[in-house]
Parts: sequence; C-alpha cells; structure tokens
Amino acid sequence: MGFWVTTLIFFLVGVVAALSVRLCCNGGPSTNLFHFTLVVTAIMCCWMMWAIVYLAQLKPLIVPILSEGE
Amino acid sequence: MGDYHSRGGGRGHGCCPPMDLLRSEPMQLVQIIIPIESAHLTVSYLGDLGLLQFKDLNADKSPFQRTYANQIKRCGEMARKLRFFREQMTKAGISPSAMSLTQTHIDLDDLEIKLGELEAELIEVNTNSEKLQRTYNELLEYKLVLQKAGEFFYSVQSSAIAQQREIEAHQVFDGSLDSPLLLEQEILADPSKQVKLGFVSGLVPKEKSMAFERILFRATRGNMYLKQVAVDDPVTDPVSGEKVAKNVFVVFYSGERAKTKILKICEAFGANRYPLTEDVGKQMQMIDEVSGKISELKTTIDIGLIQRDNMLKNIGYQFEQWNQMVRREKSIYHTLNMLSLDVTKKCVVAEGWSPVFATNQVQDALKRATYDSNSQVGSIFQILHTKESPPTYFQTNKFTLAFQEIVDAYGVAKYQEANPGVYTIITFPFLFAVMFGDWGHGICLLLATLYFIFREKKLSSQKLGDITEMTFGGRYVLMMMAMFSIYTGLIYNEFFSVPFELFGKSAYACRDPSCRDATSEGLIKVRSTYPFGVDPKWHGSRSELPFLNSLKMKLSILLGVAQMNLGIVLSYFNAKFFRNNLNIWYQFVPQLIFLNSLFGYLSLLIIVKWCTGSKADLYHVMIYMFLSPTDDLGENQLFPGQKTLQLVLLLLALISVPWMLLPKPILLKKQHQERHQGQSYALLQNTEESLELEQDHSSHGHEEFEFSEVFVHQLIHTIEFVLGAVSNTASYLRLWALSLAHSELSSVFYEKVLLLAWGFNNIIILIVGIIVFIFATIGVLLVMETLSAFLHALRLHWVEFQNKFYEGDGYKFSPFSFALLGEDED
Repeated sequence: MGFWVTTLIFFLVGVVAALSVRLCCNGGPSTNLFHFTLVVTAIMCCWMMWAIVYLAQLKPLIVPILSEGE
Repeated sequence: MGDYHSRGGGRGHGCCPPMDLLRSEPMQLVQIIIPIESAHLTVSYLGDLGLLQFKDLNADKSPFQRTYANQIKRCGEMARKLRFFREQMTKAGISPSAMSLTQTHIDLDDLEIKLGELEAELIEVNTNSEKLQRTYNELLEYKLVLQKAGEFFYSVQSSAIAQQREIEAHQVFDGSLDSPLLLEQEILADPSKQVKLGFVSGLVPKEKSMAFERILFRATRGNMYLKQVAVDDPVTDPVSGEKVAKNVFVVFYSGERAKTKILKICEAFGANRYPLTEDVGKQMQMIDEVSGKISELKTTIDIGLIQRDNMLKNIGYQFEQWNQMVRREKSIYHTLNMLSLDVTKKCVVAEGWSPVFATNQVQDALKRATYDSNSQVGSIFQILHTKESPPTYFQTNKFTLAFQEIVDAYGVAKYQEANPGVYTIITFPFLFAVMFGDWGHGICLLLATLYFIFREKKLSSQKLGDITEMTFGGRYVLMMMAMFSIYTGLIYNEFFSVPFELFGKSAYACRDPSCRDATSEGLIKVRSTYPFGVDPKWHGSRSELPFLNSLKMKLSILLGVAQMNLGIVLSYFNAKFFRNNLNIWYQFVPQLIFLNSLFGYLSLLIIVKWCTGSKADLYHVMIYMFLSPTDDLGENQLFPGQKTLQLVLLLLALISVPWMLLPKPILLKKQHQERHQGQSYALLQNTEESLELEQDHSSHGHEEFEFSEVFVHQLIHTIEFVLGAVSNTASYLRLWALSLAHSELSSVFYEKVLLLAWGFNNIIILIVGIIVFIFATIGVLLVMETLSAFLHALRLHWVEFQNKFYEGDGYKFSPFSFALLGEDED
C-alpha cells in the first residue's frame, strides 16, 4: 500500500465519519457545520501523524542495527 | 470600537451558515419597564428562564440604601435559621430528605413565622435537655463518688477498728504499768480539745490530679490527707459535656482555714465536689436514692431526645424546599435591588444583557408574569443601542463545556471573536496524544474515563472529592485524549512499550541468511515501507534512538508549523468578521508570509528530504540561508532552483517585517484624521439625535489619537511575532521531548522490572515484579505523565496557538438564574 492509497483510505474514512455524524446527530445547519469541522480537524490530525511517520521511513538513511544480545 | 449590532451583519455572509461555538451568541442590551406590583413575579420568572444578565443600575448606592435592603435582611435571617436547623440535623444524624414530591406552596411571610417558631421551640428543647443532661451527669459523678469514697471509708474503718482492738488489747497488758494514765484519759475524755477533722470529696480530671495534690499539700503545709482512686471509664463532665478520665478524691483537713483554701483549689482545678456522709449506712441509702434518680432522669432525657428527633425529622422533610425558597427569594430581592425605581414609584426599570435568540422567551416570561400577578399594565420590553461591549456567551453542552473551560481559563473570548475552543476539542487531545502515544496506556485511560461516563448520572448528583471532581468534570476531555493516545500509540507501535506486527510484515530483514551483519551493518529494507506507523524492527535496535529522535523532532516541527498556520488563518477570519481590512492586509498577510518563508520552508525541506532520500544537512541549509544566501549549496541542494527560492523567501521575510510594522499605524492615523475632518463639516442634525450624539461623545469621544502609542503597540506586536515565530517553533519541540520520555520510561519499566522479574524463574519474584510494574505504570505513566503531557498541551494551546489570533479580553455572560444558584453558596 503506497502513500496515496492510504491517503485515499483516510479520505474515505473522513467522508464516512462526516456522513455518519451528519445522519446521527443532525442539529441544524450551524451545528452540522461544527460537527463537520471537528471531523475534518480530527482526520487531518490523524492523517498528518500517519503521513509524517510513513514518509520518514520511505527512504531510510539509517537502518535498524540489532543490538549485540540478540 | 463601533456599533456591535451592525457588525452582527457579518454573520451569514459567504458560503456557510454560522458555526456553533465559533462565535459567541449575539447579545443585546434590553430595557424592561415593569409595573411595581408585578416586579417580584417578573424577576422570579426571568430567574427560571435564566437568560438575562441584569445590570446594576444602583451601583452608587450602598447595600443599606437600596429599596429591598430590609427584605434581604429578613432572608438572611431565615437563612441563618435554616443553617441552624441543618447543624442540629447533622448533629442528630438526620439528613434532609431530597426535594419532597408534594410541593406545598408557602408564603414567604408564613415561612418566616414558621421558621421563627420552630427555632424558638428547638432552642427551648435544647436548653431543657441540656439542663437535664447536666443534672444527669452530675448524678452519675455523685454516684461514683459515693461508691469509691464509700469503699475507701469502709476499708479504712474496718482497718481502724482492727487497730483499735489491737491497741485495746495492748493496753490491757501494759497500759496500766507504764503510760501516764492521766494523759491518756485527758485525750479521750476531752472531745472539745480534740481537733475536728473535716473532709471534702469529689472528682478531679486525671491529668490535673498530680498538680492538684501538690498544690493541696503546699497550701495546707502538709496538714492534710488526700486519697485518690482512678475511675475506670472516662466520665462525662457536666460542665463541658466532654468525656474526661477522672479520679475520685477525698481530702481530709483540719481547721476552717484549710477548708476554705481547699475549696478554692478545688474550684481552680475544676474539681466537682459532692457531699458525703461518714456513715456507711447512710451512704448506701444515698447510692440507692441517686440510682433511682438517675434512671428517672434517663427516661426523661430519652423522651426529650425522641421528641427533638421527631421535630428535626419533620423539619428535614421540608428543609430542602424551604432552603431553596429562601435562596430564591434572597436572589430575587438582590436582583430587584439592581433595578432603578421610577420617579413616580409606580414602576421599576431593568436593564440587562440577553442573547438575541432569547428575545421571545423573555417577552413570553414578561407576559406570563403580568397575567399571573393580575397587573393592569403590562411590562414594556425594548432593545437599547449601546457601544458597550456585550458579554460573551457560548452555548455549550456537556461534551464541549470542559474544552471551553480550558480556553476560558486563559481568558474569556472577546465578544464574537473566533473561539479557539472549536479546534481545541480536537487539537488539544491530539497534541496530548503525540506526547502520550502508547495504545496500552491509552486503553487504560479510556477504561477509566468510560467508568466516569457510564456512571455520569449517579456521579453528577454526588459530592465528590476535589481531585475526583476535577477528573469527572473533564471526563470527555480525558476520553478524547485516551482515544487519540490509542491512535498515536498504534502509530508509534507501542503497547506498554512492546511493538506488534499488526499491519503487515516489517520492511527490514537480514542481508543474508546467516544474519552476520545484523549487529554491525544493520538490516536492509527488503519490502515496501511498513504501512502504518513505526516499523516494529526498530524497537530494541541500536539505531532506535537516533531514528526516533530524528522522526519525533521533525514531527514536532511539522505539527507546530501546521497549528501556528491554523492560528494565523483564524486571525484572518476574525479580521474578516469584524470587517477590519487593515488587519487582513497589514497583519495577516505579512505574518503568514513571514512564518512560512522561514518555517514553512523548513517543513518543505523536511518533506522533500524524506521523499528523495537526500543526505542534505538541513541545519546547514537553514543557517547558511541567512549567513550567506548567495553561496552555492553544493551537496546540500535538495532540488533545482533551491537557491533562487531561498533568496526569494529571505527577501519576502525581510520585507514582511516592516510591512507588519509601519503601514498599520500610519493608516490608522489617516483614518482618524478623515473621520475628524468629516465631523467638523457635518450637517446639523435635529435636536434629539444631536443630543444623543453628544452623549455618545461624552462617553467615548475623548479618545485622542496618540500616534506614538499606536506605533509602540504595533512595534511590540511585530517584535513579539517575529521573535515568537522562532521561539514558538522551538517550543513545539516539547512534543518530541515528552513523547521520548514517555516511551523510554515505559520501556524501562517493562524491561527492567517485568522482564527482569520474569528471568528469575521464581513465582514470588515474578508476582512482586508484576505488582511493581503495575504500580509504576499507574503512578508514573498513567497519572504523572498524563498530568505533565496535559500541562504541556495546555501551554501549546494557550501560548503558541492562541497568541496568533486570540485576544481573550471579554467577560462572561452570567445570567440571573435559579438553576445556577445552588452551587455558589455551599
């Protein structure tokens, strides 16, 4: 699974989450916008965290060197 | 500055509907003119509604000069009586029952009379029972004295008789021979010359008994005889009513003088004296008599107590209702005192803030009050226009409340300013989790908070301890923190510091089947990158720390730059909302450019370096971007055209500093001058309006435009931002430090405690190890680390995020509401 595939998965999860929040807790346009903002922020945070860690391991400059005991 | 109502028009423009919680509710200043006969009921109904914050229109008057000072005094008196009842009830161990179902309506006057009667009755019952109790205790002591002293007399007497007999027997033999007969006879025969021995008996506290004896001895110069016997059980002192260990004493003395001295000493030592007869028979009789009296008194006291308990129980049934009623009345009168009385004294005028959405509700309450109080005239409701800044009111629910409180703890938002609370709901727990990433610990935390959430109803009605109360209040914050911790824990691949291969196989493997190089050269990447989170092979390897350091440091910078950019973007929305173009063009734009041309570029370099696998030294690039921007980058070049880009960015950053600093004050000055000029040539308005205008001027027209002040303010702001851009980015590195500390600590506990104990192959050591591990995990990692990560996340939000856009100089909307009344007094 490459970077873009997982990003797409994140996006889809976000869409599903936004839709389900919209369906479950419908409370007028302003409340819905608020919920939508929360979902978008959460997904963005999670995606950034994942993307950073993923990219950092994409082309490793250092590799794991096992310790002597093992 | 300016009219807030026209500004409200800023809402609803653009593509989207207004967002909950982003802006505080639009408020209006309302004036209500209430006929005096329905004033009380109106205020009471408004208190039920709880959406109006009354302004104090009598601020210049002292509490005693106000109209309803008398009623407040009466309410205070009633509250005192109720407190007295509560005290009596807690003493008697009766708890007031919850709000009774039968809400009998009582008038305040009736209640006052009733409370007065009950108090008088209760006091009388108390004094009576106190008196009885005192007598009872005295009798008990008396009985003790009779018993103990009686024993003593009896034993002494019997030994005296024995002695006498011995002496007599002696006398038979040699008395007639040796002793001078006359002397003996003289003593025996002349009782008038015999010294009369008196005695005092009573009880003295045990700890004073030594001193008591010494003083007695000195005062009488040794001419006394003291006998003390300890009483086994502590005795209730009749005077103080406390249980004290006591000694029964009998003092024998000779002479009237000694007697008075002894009596005085007894008094000084708090020794209770009781009369005693020498005659043993009489003593027995007395004991019987006293015992009879004691049992009699006992039944009387018991009956009294039962009566009192019944009375208190009756009070307890209605106590809560009364208490609430008195509180309500008191708050109503307090509010009424804030209203100004009309000159005709036929109506009162109220002013206050109320959310715009509540207009209908308030008007409805006014109508009901008019109807219910049979008033001839209705209240008049009108909206006032003012330049005063309205209070800030966010409608929160149980989920958003705790997050909003985190923001409010720093400063209450200015009226209608963008509320960081919206993003805090997600970013706060997220940044916490970046520092607390371990899905094992996250699950523990989640379970603890789920306990609070499922027992929410029960716990919210209980009184909790300070710390539990705080945890309970922040249960939803904790829940979000725990959920994000589980997520970041999965990313960091740590479960109590143990990695799992949950998302496929590790990307690394040995270079050759023999795995000879694994400990020197290291493994080699054979598959595509581990799809989710940190590769499990890193754990425990020698290069783990360098790798994690580099990763987490860059992670902190990237997240920090992203959050600071979000803050700056919010400042754009603020400026747009308040229609402040100056702030957009001369604050928002240069700030965005400055931050991103330095740290945005750094973030870009980090990502490019990762994607290309370049070995460029980013420190070097960043430092020489400033020191010698025209030099060739050499091997540190990451992409073509980098040098040109760096030059452009550097120039932009340099330009944006004076851009932030200079134009805004100059333009403000120009604006001010234009307004001033316009005013001097304004048309003459009709009298009423110009009067209003003048009033406005007298209130805030005094502001002279001080260019130097505005300039210095802008200078400070600019310096703060420019230096802040560096220091704030550095401040985000705490994410790295704390998350590293957390993972290192948990791996120490796992390896040095659990695995070490496991290695001994001894069940007892293993159990001890497990216990130590559990306690260390809970105490250090779950409690202390949670606290410290919480505080650091708090700081990152308050300082690094909010200083980009948040003014936080508003004041909170505190409506007059009975629902909020209960908590503040206890």
